[in-house]
Amino acid sequence: MKINKKVYINNFHSISCAGNTSEELFESICEKKDCISIDSTYVKGRDVAIGKIKSSENFKTLLFNACKKVLNESNLDDYSNTLLIVGSSVGGMLTTENTYFKDKNYKNIDYNQHTINSIAYNLKKEFTFYDDISFSTACTSSANALGYAKEVLSKGIYKNVLVVGADSLCSTTVCGFSALSVLSSNPCTPFEKDREGMNVSEAIAVILLQNDKNINSVELCGVGYSSDSHHMTQPHPDGLGAKNAIQNALDDAKISFKEISYINAHGTGTIANDNSEANAIASLFPNKPYLSSTKSITGHTLGAAGAIEAIISIMCIQKEIIPPSKNLKDPQRDDVLFTNEAISQKVDYIVSNSFAFGGNNTSLVFGKCNEN
Amino acid sequence: MKINLEIIDAVNIVAKDEISDLRTKELVPKMVFRRRLTRAAKLVVEVVDKIGFEDGRIIYGSAFGELTASANILSAILNDEMLSPTDFQNSVYNTAVSYLSILKNNKNEILTISSGDNTSEKLLKIGAIKALDGDEILLLLTETINIKNIQEINNCIETLETVVALKVKVTEEDSTLNIPTQVNSDYPKSIALLIELSSKFDKNKKNIIEVQI
Repeated sequence: MKINKKVYINNFHSISCAGNTSEELFESICEKKDCISIDSTYVKGRDVAIGKIKSSENFKTLLFNACKKVLNESNLDDYSNTLLIVGSSVGGMLTTENTYFKDKNYKNIDYNQHTINSIAYNLKKEFTFYDDISFSTACTSSANALGYAKEVLSKGIYKNVLVVGADSLCSTTVCGFSALSVLSSNPCTPFEKDREGMNVSEAIAVILLQNDKNINSVELCGVGYSSDSHHMTQPHPDGLGAKNAIQNALDDAKISFKEISYINAHGTGTIANDNSEANAIASLFPNKPYLSSTKSITGHTLGAAGAIEAIISIMCIQKEIIPPSKNLKDPQRDDVLFTNEAISQKVDYIVSNSFAFGGNNTSLVFGKCNEN
Repeated sequence: MKINLEIIDAVNIVAKDEISDLRTKELVPKMVFRRRLTRAAKLVVEVVDKIGFEDGRIIYGSAFGELTASANILSAILNDEMLSPTDFQNSVYNTAVSYLSILKNNKNEILTISSGDNTSEKLLKIGAIKALDGDEILLLLTETINIKNIQEINNCIETLETVVALKVKVTEEDSTLNIPTQVNSDYPKSIALLIELSSKFDKNKKNIIEVQI
């Protein structure tokens, strides 16, 4: 298939523990605000640090409002000519937990509100979409949703795609990561020598991608996929899968590693992920572009992370600011270039990494729109 | 827009409660690895061997995902019991194809979708769009809903374990096979259409479907 149309990100909105708008999110990151809180309710007998959205509205209402805001700020009258692509690892699990923990049986669980598809199911009650599809590949879910959005737009199959990355906090994920012994009791410090682990967080990210661009558009230039084929939860120690995904994304974007200004790392704060990812980046980027993990401010928003970090990457390009890591005092590595402060500089291209259970790897390349 | 897909091979296995006669021991010789496999992973390994797909892109679908692992986690939390790390790592929707990729050393793009009752239709659509690149794509779909007390929530699905695999590629030839409009209501709706389609597959003929995007 030879059609290779450009793919532009024209509108977006996000809600996370780092702010109820994307502007607040970016400001929280650049100012290294304290957005992670300590919680003692999820894991019995243990404090864990989590990222909770600060709002009196429930998750479904926040999601609906986010999609409505993006629509209102777009050039669309409605979403009837738009493909909805959802990326989520949790889906309706919070609703299921609330019912099951109250009733102690399955009788009142509504399967339409339980599955990954529950997000699209609920959105379709409020909006009419041309079609929809939901991806669930754990922590790469919304990165894969964005990858598919690029594919269908570049192939000229659709003109408008709405990507929704959404995962709410729930006991299953917080207790599950605790069982894997990878949760930190403090705000996470990815790539720090003595890092303790990750923070589970919740977030909603809504992104409108189109073939036509507007004055503030950022281009989604490349997507690269790979599978580690190594282990269910441990990435390949040399970062081979990550390396393949990044290289595939650069190839898809038709750019060289030298053109990358900044890498938004997957950077969860776990020993295994950060080592593996740093190995991949060090071997692919001898020129050492800036690298940070914004999860040190937002926590790990799981299936929403790819889309949240896409929004951060888009804003980096729009504002020409490279975002910092927080609390990175003694980095484990010196063969990659970390930044602890927001840096103003020209940003042409950014790589954003997302890696998941099962060795599912997706890298995205975002770029400034240079041509008229 | 429409894309014509040639079904190169197709296989399905279904069972009321549990699919028997799986060759998991033979296909997954390493016991440590085999013991961690979920039911969906075992079914996927089985059909991939039958269909003969070693390496390449895979699109996997499941509406309900790994219900056993999820149910175990919920029960452990409710009852203040120790939560199994294996249950948690096995609870993500891409578990089955992740084990498959490790087993087959498949380093390609492997995606998982979950679109409720319409998962079959969406799998055909994404498969058709991906296949426009010219390669053979493996489409896999499983539903493994035979968990303890499933009757509390299920009163219509009779066939609790199902798996289907289709190996497809794009063709410019005319369609020879209609996508079924009537499906067996004993199967989960998410997989029924693909089971019907794979059942119509005839190795002695061209099997071409027209996928409306």
